[in-house]
Amino acid sequence: MRNFLARLYDFFGGLAALFLLATLIIILINILGRQFGFFLRGADAYAGYSIAAVAFLALASTLKRGEHIRVTLIFQRLQSKSRQFLQIWCFAAGSLLCAYFSYFIWKMVWFSYQFHDISQGQDATPLWIPQTFMAMGLTILTVALTEGLVMSFRGTSDVAEKNETLSFVE
Amino acid sequence: MDQLLISIFLIITLLVILASGLWIGLTLLAVGLVSMEIFMGKPAGDSMALTVWGSLSSWTLTALPLFIWMGEILFRGRMSEDLFRGLAPWLNRLPGRLLHVNILGSAIFAAVSGSSAATCATVGKMTIPELRKRGYPEKLTIGTLAGAATLGFLIPPSIIMIVYGVASNVSIAQLFIGGILPGMLLALLFMGYVIIWSLINREQIPAAETGLSLWQKLYAARNLIPLVLLILLVLGSIYTGFATATEAAALGVVGALLISWLQKTLSWSSFVEGIMAGARLYCMIALILAGSSFLTLAMGFIGLPRNVATWIGALGLSPLELIVALTLFYLVLGCFLDGISMVVLTMTVVLPTIQQAGIDLLWFGIFIVLVVEMAQITPPVGFNLFVLQGMTKHQIGFIARTAFPLFLIMIGTVLLIYFIPEIVTYLPGQMKGRG
Repeated sequence: MRNFLARLYDFFGGLAALFLLATLIIILINILGRQFGFFLRGADAYAGYSIAAVAFLALASTLKRGEHIRVTLIFQRLQSKSRQFLQIWCFAAGSLLCAYFSYFIWKMVWFSYQFHDISQGQDATPLWIPQTFMAMGLTILTVALTEGLVMSFRGTSDVAEKNETLSFVE
Repeated sequence: MDQLLISIFLIITLLVILASGLWIGLTLLAVGLVSMEIFMGKPAGDSMALTVWGSLSSWTLTALPLFIWMGEILFRGRMSEDLFRGLAPWLNRLPGRLLHVNILGSAIFAAVSGSSAATCATVGKMTIPELRKRGYPEKLTIGTLAGAATLGFLIPPSIIMIVYGVASNVSIAQLFIGGILPGMLLALLFMGYVIIWSLINREQIPAAETGLSLWQKLYAARNLIPLVLLILLVLGSIYTGFATATEAAALGVVGALLISWLQKTLSWSSFVEGIMAGARLYCMIALILAGSSFLTLAMGFIGLPRNVATWIGALGLSPLELIVALTLFYLVLGCFLDGISMVVLTMTVVLPTIQQAGIDLLWFGIFIVLVVEMAQITPPVGFNLFVLQGMTKHQIGFIARTAFPLFLIMIGTVLLIYFIPEIVTYLPGQMKGRG
């Protein structure tokens, strides 16, 4: 089961990477188009959808590698018992919140689909298509957080023990 | 309930949940949800979905993941070696000698990297072992690197500037160009500090190595060519108005890929690793941005930013007093939060105040970047400290102490740009094109 889940997170992480590549290609085509006088309709919007997909699809694999930032000052000072307690709180609160959020995003997708909500820009994309990636990403994050919750009850959580040491964002 | 009470309650809730270790992005979402549902009695779920979707699918953000990816490619390449080999022969005569490689190396790498920790890790990968081998004082080796690497934020491209630009509607291209002069100034001040220190403590600096002839030095400098070309490509295309910040980022990714291909450091696996790491890093920031966009909406409903602006306005602070107060506020915040969270959390509340005080938002962006830089080297939470702890195994406290003189120089720079704002605004005013 855990093996399957790990592969699932990685699969969506890989999908996110593909969307990052797609973003690059869209923007490059746009630059080329300006030089050579052709025009990719709605390129801005497509790039926007792409990075939204990157942001959400990679959520779970980022979590699994302990790369989402959190304040660990108190965490680091706790003994293993109270630490486990706090870990359970984080995963419980996190998975509840994400489940709630995912529900409303799926609802948004459904409404976009039902009412043929179409992008205001030149791309005129039916919005439910790009929004589906957002919903999928958050659903997978909910799964990952729930798995983390189960594991921290067993006291075997492997998530987020790594500190932020080598996160190059900053 | 009284608005003041609500605000205080929400701030305390926010701090408690943050401290409990819940991921920062989720914390922001949770607090936004609480304030909407409880205090406004509005069903929050639908507006949460719409707000987050709207803010994360925006075109202005696209520069962010691309610059992050570019940094990941360069980090996996040969940049550290190139920087050291190209710079070291030139700095042999200057008092402080190779310590200046830390500073100049950071300044140069900062011009292709948007992040301070990445700058720190890339430059330090080579300089820390090389300087140790030659017997440079450890305290200066580490301190100058920790301090100078923060230039990663101030010298464009800069992740913090993109985040600020999106939050404040200031042109990212203008912010980038506005960071150039302050960044160069700060680098010069750091070098001045090293020169003065070395003149006083001559005996602690190892002797110069056998000098190279000018021809040999020039030959060594060829190592810098790829980096310089990449800088010209990225910043040049923004400055001349050829490309927007996003397009410059895309060109930068292509340039970085090309360089690592030519230098034979690009393999299929390093390519995949780079793009995956880039996607995850962006995802980490995006979760914080998602949370803050919703919290911003909720705060707006409650009227918190407006109230704070009125309240601060009533204090009748002069702009200088306001800036001093904000500097202190951010320094305290920076001890506990990372730079991005710091910026997105406070912008909603701080921007109305700043506008009311008549402070230029472009100038304020550079100011924010400077205080975020300081936050990178203040304990207990400072990312450059973490990176250096990982690389050197020193205690956080020790590293922070070694960087303290540079911290003071940064405070001095804040004052300098306050009294001479042209340092920030001159270059953006000269820009061509769409800005």
